[in-house]
Amino acid sequence: MNFQKKFASGEFVFLAEMNTPKGVDISEMITNARRIKDRIDGVIIPDMDNGVMRMSALGGAVLMRQQGIETIIHVYGRDRNKMAIQGDILAAHVLGIQGILVVRGEEMASGDHTDARVVDDLDEEGILRAIASLQKGIDLAGFELKGTPKFVTGCTLGPYKDDDGLERVITAAAKKVEAGAGFIVTPPVFDIDRFSILMERLKPLNIPVIPTIFLLKTVGIARYMATYEPGVFISEQTIKRIRQAPDRELECIKIAGETIHALRGIAQGVRIVTLGWEHRLPTILEYAGI
Amino acid sequence: MITAERKPLEEIIEYVRPFGKILLVGCNECVTVCSAGGRKEVGLLSSALQMAFMKEGKMLEIKEMTLERQCDPEYVEELSGHINQVDAVLSMACGCGVQEIAQRYREKPVFPAVNTKFMGASERQGVWSERCQGCGNCLLGLTGGICPVARCSKRLLNGPCGGSTKGKCEINPEIDCAWQLIWDRLKALGQEERYSDIIPAKDWRPSRDGGPRKIIREDLAS
Ligand code: SF4
Ligand code: SF4
Repeated sequence: MNFQKKFASGEFVFLAEMNTPKGVDISEMITNARRIKDRIDGVIIPDMDNGVMRMSALGGAVLMRQQGIETIIHVYGRDRNKMAIQGDILAAHVLGIQGILVVRGEEMASGDHTDARVVDDLDEEGILRAIASLQKGIDLAGFELKGTPKFVTGCTLGPYKDDDGLERVITAAAKKVEAGAGFIVTPPVFDIDRFSILMERLKPLNIPVIPTIFLLKTVGIARYMATYEPGVFISEQTIKRIRQAPDRELECIKIAGETIHALRGIAQGVRIVTLGWEHRLPTILEYAGI
Repeated sequence: MITAERKPLEEIIEYVRPFGKILLVGCNECVTVCSAGGRKEVGLLSSALQMAFMKEGKMLEIKEMTLERQCDPEYVEELSGHINQVDAVLSMACGCGVQEIAQRYREKPVFPAVNTKFMGASERQGVWSERCQGCGNCLLGLTGGICPVARCSKRLLNGPCGGSTKGKCEINPEIDCAWQLIWDRLKALGQEERYSDIIPAKDWRPSRDGGPRKIIREDLAS
């Protein structure tokens, strides 16, 4: 399947996040990818997600390409300057990577190498503009490229806590679209009604909206997100549902699956985030009816 | 001291062009010492602006003031009696001073008239050079009192790179090779053996990499 074509034709796109290993043992990553290969349209490979040092997204994406899976890599400015970012983007194209999702890197302080130096040469808009420029055959210093890369490029809608915050992240998103983003990934969605309202708000951006499906895993995580990420709206009812379930893990998987199912026809796809539970992706897809 | 250089006049003109009356505020501390934004420079900039606008047939009224320290709320308060009589403030202090004014007088536009450069020292009359990057965890005790973070072009903690010629840096012959200075200094101190000590990879948390910084002294904080 081809997520690029689906984006263009307005079909629903299934994307799953696949984390690279912390180390060089890639067996688990490959096994998990093979299991879902024919049921999704592509994988998204985060780069040092949550500030945790691990194999780079570029490496992970190449592994996925070797499995015949279409890939989107995360690119952000915390660890690389404009030289390294552009170099990796050129490499990504040559290595067969079709998509780039420009994200905001987690603070160094919340990762596992808190003493590392922060680069922050380009912010999200800066990276989007760099990609746009490279696609036109010109680098950020104005020099001509020999052969131009091509990508489906996306951005994220930042997290928000209230209406004011939403206003700000939508304004920021509009800037990113102007800078070249062709699709947008939202924060985790648990409440379909609220998401429908958000969809309305995002309509003026005029690009495919891809909500994030976040696998909760435990009551603790659900409670934490409900408290600290009020923008995602996890209801008490959802938390209760997980708590009272005989198999809580499975219940979380069911919730993720049902949310995906409900979003068909509303959004233009989903990004499924399991944070290390990629082995549960097949079951999530089952409950989503895929 | 914090060093600064005045911005090009054309840039400053564009900032103040929309206004009829401005307050031009200098600072008596670092920017006075490095001749960028003290009382004297306030006077010079004021005349230059007035002349430039006069040529265009426009009047710009400028009230000149120079505060003891623009990064100190106590002194910035002194502007309170004048701020309402002007349309905007043009500050000749470092970025800290400009922001202090922006914070205190929220409804008044404030513009910088200087580019804040670095923490440095005076080499000789009219020459200042960078000495410190405020990394938050000073290494000078290991490097003979010469800072490799601020003064080595490649920020080598275990230098030299081998490229220096006649004591000058290979990247920029205008500046001294920091590692030559470190070596000379260790030798002068009779501490040559220190040179072979490996300085471990730096922990950048105490630096700006750990986020915007703040010092809270419980014994002094009110
Ligand atoms: S080691 Fe750090 S604190 Fe010390 S002089 Fe150099 S930059 Fe400044
Ligand atoms: S010549 Fe000296 S100051 Fe310049 S980069 Fe090399 S070691 Fe650093």
